[in-house]
Amino acid sequence: MSRNRAIAATLVSLTRALGRALISERVARQRGLLQALDPRVRVIGLFALVLAVTLSDRISVIVALFCAAVVVALLSKVSLASLAARVWLPVLFFTGVIALPALVLTPGEPILAPTGGSFPVTAQGMSAALLLIARVETAVTLTTLLILCTPWMQVLQALRAFHVPQDVVVMLAMTHRYIFLLAETAGQMFESRQSRTVGVFDGATRRRMTARTAGVLLSKSVELSNEVFLSMQSRGFRGDVRVLSAFRMRSRDYIGLVAFLVAGGVAVWIGRS
Amino acid sequence: MTMLPIFEVQNVCFDYEQIPALRGLSLTIGRGQSVALLGANGSGKSTLLRLLDALCFPSRGSISFCSEPLTTEQLRSDEFALPFRRRVALVCQNPDVQLFNPTVFDEVAFGPLQMGWLSAEVVARVEETMHLMGIAHLRDRAPYRLSGGEKKRVALASVIVLDPDVLLLDEPTAMLDPRSQSQLIDLIQSWKSSSKTVITATHQLEIVEDIADRVFVLEQGSVVAAGSPQEILSDGDLLLHANLVHAHRHTHGTMTHSHPHLHSHARHEH
Amino acid sequence: MHIPDGYLSPSTCAALYAGAALGWYGGLQRIKRTLATRMIPLISVFAAFSFVLMMFNLPLPGGTTGHALGVTIASIVLGPAGSILAISIAIAIQALFFGDGGITTLGANCFNMAIVGSLVAYATYRIVAAGAEITSRRRLLAAGLAGYVATNAAAFLAAVEFGIQPMLFRDASGVPQYAPYALGVAIPAMMIGHLAIAGVAEGIIAAGLVAYLQAADPALLQSTSGLAPGATAACQPSMRHPQRRWWIAIALLLLLTPLGVLTAGTAWGEWSASSFSSAEGRARIAAASQNRPAPPVAPTGLQRLSSLWTSPVPAYAPPVLKSTSFGYFLSGMFGVGLVIMLSLALQAYLQHRRGAGQPG
Repeated sequence: MSRNRAIAATLVSLTRALGRALISERVARQRGLLQALDPRVRVIGLFALVLAVTLSDRISVIVALFCAAVVVALLSKVSLASLAARVWLPVLFFTGVIALPALVLTPGEPILAPTGGSFPVTAQGMSAALLLIARVETAVTLTTLLILCTPWMQVLQALRAFHVPQDVVVMLAMTHRYIFLLAETAGQMFESRQSRTVGVFDGATRRRMTARTAGVLLSKSVELSNEVFLSMQSRGFRGDVRVLSAFRMRSRDYIGLVAFLVAGGVAVWIGRS
Repeated sequence: MTMLPIFEVQNVCFDYEQIPALRGLSLTIGRGQSVALLGANGSGKSTLLRLLDALCFPSRGSISFCSEPLTTEQLRSDEFALPFRRRVALVCQNPDVQLFNPTVFDEVAFGPLQMGWLSAEVVARVEETMHLMGIAHLRDRAPYRLSGGEKKRVALASVIVLDPDVLLLDEPTAMLDPRSQSQLIDLIQSWKSSSKTVITATHQLEIVEDIADRVFVLEQGSVVAAGSPQEILSDGDLLLHANLVHAHRHTHGTMTHSHPHLHSHARHEH
Repeated sequence: MHIPDGYLSPSTCAALYAGAALGWYGGLQRIKRTLATRMIPLISVFAAFSFVLMMFNLPLPGGTTGHALGVTIASIVLGPAGSILAISIAIAIQALFFGDGGITTLGANCFNMAIVGSLVAYATYRIVAAGAEITSRRRLLAAGLAGYVATNAAAFLAAVEFGIQPMLFRDASGVPQYAPYALGVAIPAMMIGHLAIAGVAEGIIAAGLVAYLQAADPALLQSTSGLAPGATAACQPSMRHPQRRWWIAIALLLLLTPLGVLTAGTAWGEWSASSFSSAEGRARIAAASQNRPAPPVAPTGLQRLSSLWTSPVPAYAPPVLKSTSFGYFLSGMFGVGLVIMLSLALQAYLQHRRGAGQPG
């Protein structure tokens, strides 16, 4: 029923977000290529490849990087079917829709005239659309690989190694932790609203009810933050969070790092020549 | 038992935004005692525990710990605060508030790290404590993946890793299944026998005899009675007045009557 | 409004990362001063709240549904500095953990939504609510308007970032390398959706939340109200603290920077001596001067002065960059960044002076 569609849609988003976290944990526990490398190497390496994707001007180079990403995915025990469902198809759809008008709007030499000459498809338009789609597909595949294979804590510790301030890393960690609690709370509030309300409400009332749910969530959030603060103090927090230091590089990490950087460098060199 | 006082609370008042939570409350707790703070919700038990842990400070009156007054200024110095935080531990009613780290290991390690212990020592103590509490298999788990009982165990582990002298427990058996509840009571009893001071706030009368040698009854922000568990639990009128038992009409077989009672262990106490 | 990887060129991404970094730095410094140890749990939980809020499906007038960002309520409750951090953290987690939104474009997204969004929301709220009581209806209007304006400001920036891509980054045969739509298409395309839907959603949520807080917890609205604690009358000036004016001015400056790129050719009067000697240069000068022919030789005064000092960033474009118009854009960013740094230094100095007269 349309009155519950908004609530249902919200509930779907909330549970999907929670579900994604669980999938990531499962993949990160596999013994594959990416999982075996130091998290900092993963972050630098995959970021270098994403940079190469954005720096290269040639679609052939970008496609080559895409193939490399697929190989890495297979070696890291990431299922191609899940990548297709999670990345390739959605990106194709959304970027495709965005890129479609570019076929006819980009000035240049016409190559096709589906509407009888008034809006011809140009060669430049075709290239632009393909280039955009290829770039986005490859970049998102690479970042998704990084995310799937690296537990959140390691992502944070890698950031710490890149001199992101300690306070910021602690906040990222705590935010992540409480997203799940608040999402669950919000989900429960919406579910109970769905089951309790009978009848159709007009738009204004529905908006007010959603705003009220958001308000209750806000109050709970502020209260939660106060309680957490006391709890931190109770265990000795004085203003600077201290954490255990993390990683050490092994020889395979150096090899992996060099491999990523070389691949990226070659791609950029060919791509921009 | 030596009555060396560890906490002295004198005439303490505390307000939550103009609503009085504690009104002129006074009590003394001896070192090594196990104490129960009995009271209905809203009687001020949680507030008192927070004041004892120096997380907030009274608007009137004073609290001292081992003869040292607990004031904002005192807690500002690392010299006093860090040892105090190690020696006094609070376990909240809502474990989600206490589990704010990404994984169970991090949570248990948080306290020791803030105390400034060396990494090797931290890791060793954390492993030991996790094994003690039976949560070693959860070390990399995130808090939202834990059940209620597991969360409570992690919360307990995160404080006992520091080997505190005083344990402040706020409704520790709330939301626990019967088996977890009895495991917790066993734990409290082991603390009692190792002469730690244990102060438990609860409204569950059936566990009081197991966990405390001395009981304070709180009503509307002040102490209305103090004594041994046997004395307090046999005073039906007191308990009724403090909203700790109820007196609804009920039926035994063919007889119907009403009197103060509580439902416990699926039995019916008269 | 979240820009994915691949739509913006690396240099655009780098410039916006630089701008975002300045905003993060400024926000972090300020929030550490005002909140101190409370910062970590408050900002974190608010970031989590904003993240969850982004998932709410809000029914809008006309039958559509939209999503709010939460940047407005964050600015109203935490202030602009706290909002910059909280929303940036939410965006970062979306990108780094959930894979929504690009990593090369993280700087751009934070700049548009978290930084400019917060500043514009805060400025609009303060200006419209000026001096009104905490429970007054004017604050609801202020919040709603702030949400609407901030969302559209952020969308406009994103549209401009998209729209300048084909102008600056196309290959020899004219193929756009990144986002393929010029400003004339990008701006209307992005703005329609935000003027009609996203802005409305954000405005409704912001007003709704302020209404809720007015009843449930008015103390949370106190710190950004511009009113003295406990004051009920409306005779307080709305901008008691000079720092707030700085933030507002900077917000406006940041917004205007990209417009500088839009000017085709050189601004009137900003000609170097060499422009006069080339035919192309003279044609440009003539075009900018209502087609009056330019003198064949540069005026002597101009020649003498221009040899006196060579700026480290000659003609606004560091030599490494290929395109002069992009150089203008980048320099504008850094110019504003300098203004931010100077204002922070000034604030710090003023606070130090004020604090020196009070007991610690």
